[in-house]
Amino acid sequence: MFGFIRPLRSELKVREWERFQSVYCGLCHSIRQRYGLLQTTLLSYDCTYLALVLDAADSQAECEACRRRCIVHPIRRRSCAQETAGIRHAAAVSVILNWHKLQDTIDDETGWKRLGARVLRLFLRRGYKKARQDNAEFDRVVTEQLQSLNRIQREQTASLDIPADTFANILRAAVPEERTDDGRILGEMFYHTGRWIYLIDACDDLAEDFTTGSYNPVRLRYRLTEPDLTPLRETLRHTLLQSLAASYHAYILLNTKRDGGIIENILCQGLPEVTRQVLNGTLEANGGKNRHGSI
Amino acid sequence: MDPYKVLDISPNATDDEVKSAYRELARKYHPDNYINNPLADLAQEKMQQVNEAYDAIMKERKSGGSANSGGYQSGGYQGGYQSGGYGYAGQSAGYRGANASIYNQVRNSINVGNIGMAEELLNRVSDRDAEWHFLRSNICYRKGWFDEASQEINLACGMEPNNFEYQRMKQVLNQSAQYGGYRPMQNNDAMDCCTQLLCLNCLCDCMGSGC
Repeated sequence: MFGFIRPLRSELKVREWERFQSVYCGLCHSIRQRYGLLQTTLLSYDCTYLALVLDAADSQAECEACRRRCIVHPIRRRSCAQETAGIRHAAAVSVILNWHKLQDTIDDETGWKRLGARVLRLFLRRGYKKARQDNAEFDRVVTEQLQSLNRIQREQTASLDIPADTFANILRAAVPEERTDDGRILGEMFYHTGRWIYLIDACDDLAEDFTTGSYNPVRLRYRLTEPDLTPLRETLRHTLLQSLAASYHAYILLNTKRDGGIIENILCQGLPEVTRQVLNGTLEANGGKNRHGSI
Repeated sequence: MDPYKVLDISPNATDDEVKSAYRELARKYHPDNYINNPLADLAQEKMQQVNEAYDAIMKERKSGGSANSGGYQSGGYQGGYQSGGYGYAGQSAGYRGANASIYNQVRNSINVGNIGMAEELLNRVSDRDAEWHFLRSNICYRKGWFDEASQEINLACGMEPNNFEYQRMKQVLNQSAQYGGYRPMQNNDAMDCCTQLLCLNCLCDCMGSGC
C-alpha cells in the first residue's frame, strides 16, 4: 500500500517491538514461500498491521515464533512468527495490492518508470495469479474500486470523501468477509483506516501533484492555488483524526486475544504522529514513507 | 464470565482500583462515542457487560465486608443507549410541509441503520432546506464521510441557527476527533472529564464571586 502505518517505537515495550518485527518477518517468509521472492521486496508495514490485527482477533491462532535466516539477514537468525491464518490472509492481500499499484504506475507514468514497472510486472505475474486464486473476492473488489477511483479522478471530483470512500472500500474488503460481529468490527476498523491512508497520502503528495498536474482531492476540495497546507492544517487534522477515532472505537469492541499494546500504540500514537508530520511537512525529515522503519 | 476479567483487573485489586478500571471502560464504551454508529449495538453490549461486572464485584465485596466499600453506587451509565444508537427525540420531528412524509421515512431508515435506503429517499427531494442538509449530514457521518458531514451541518445551521438538534449534531462533529476513549498522543492517565468539569466549576465559582 502506501507505507504510512507504523508504530511509535519509543513508546513500545521491547517485547512488543520484537513481536511486531517477528510478524513482519513471518509475513515476508509467507509471501516468499507462496508467491515468490520478488514479491517480498514490495512488502510494507501496512500489511503487517493487518496480519497483527487479524491474529489478535483470532482465538485459535497459535502465535509462536521461531528463529530463521533470510536473504536480508543471512547470518544471524531472526525471530519470525509462524504462519497463521491472519498472516496467510495478509500475504495474499499484500501481493494483490502491489500488483494493482504497479498497474497504476504503468497507467500514470511515462518513460523509464513505466518501462521499469512493466518489466517488474512481468516477473510478478505468476505470484499475483496465485494470490488471486487464494482470494478472488478481494481481487474483484480492488479491480472494481480502482475503476471507480479512475473515473473519479478523470472527472476531477472536488471532494475528500468520495475518492477516499472508494479506497476505504478496498481496505474494508481486505479483512476476511465473515458475517460475524468480529467481521463487522474489522470491516469498520479498516474502512476508517483506509480513509485515513487515502487522505494522508493526498496531503503528502500535494506538492508533487501541483508540479505534475495530477489529481489531488485536497487541492480541488479547498481550491488551493499553491501547495501549502498551513492554513488548512487544523481542518485536515480534524477530519483525519475523526477517521482514526472511528477506527479506534471499532477496535476497542474487538475481543482481542493478544497484541493490544501494539495495536493501541499504532492507532493512538503512531498514526497521529504520522498525521502531524505530514501536515507540518516533516515526514521526509523523519524517514519518509515507504521506509520499513518505525517513527 | 469472570467480572474481574471483564474489568481487566486482578481479584486482589482495591476498591479504588476497581472503580478507576470501571470508569476507564465506561468512558471508552460510553454511548456518546457511538452516536449514529453502525457498531452501536455491540458497544451497548460491552457497556452492559462492564456495568454488570462492576455491580457484581461491588455487591460481592459489600456482602463480604470489604474494608473500604463506602460510597458505592450502581453503574451510572445504564440506560444511556437508545435503540437506534442515535439520540433523536422520538421517531418523528413533527414535520409539516411537502417533504414531511419522506423526511420521516429518512429518519426511520437512519434509525434502523438502512443507510442506502435513507440516501436514496433523500436524493428524491429537490428543494433542499435545512432539514435536508441535517439528514444528509447524519447519513455522511454514519458512513464515515466526516468532511461532507461537517459541510452539510454547517449549511443546516446557517439556514436555521436556532435549531437545537442541528447545533447538537454540529457539536458531535466538532468533538468526534477526540471523543471519549480516543486520545491521540496522550497517555491514559490524563485528566479525565470529571476533573475537567470540577475545574471548570471552580473557575465559574471564582468568576461568580469576583463580580
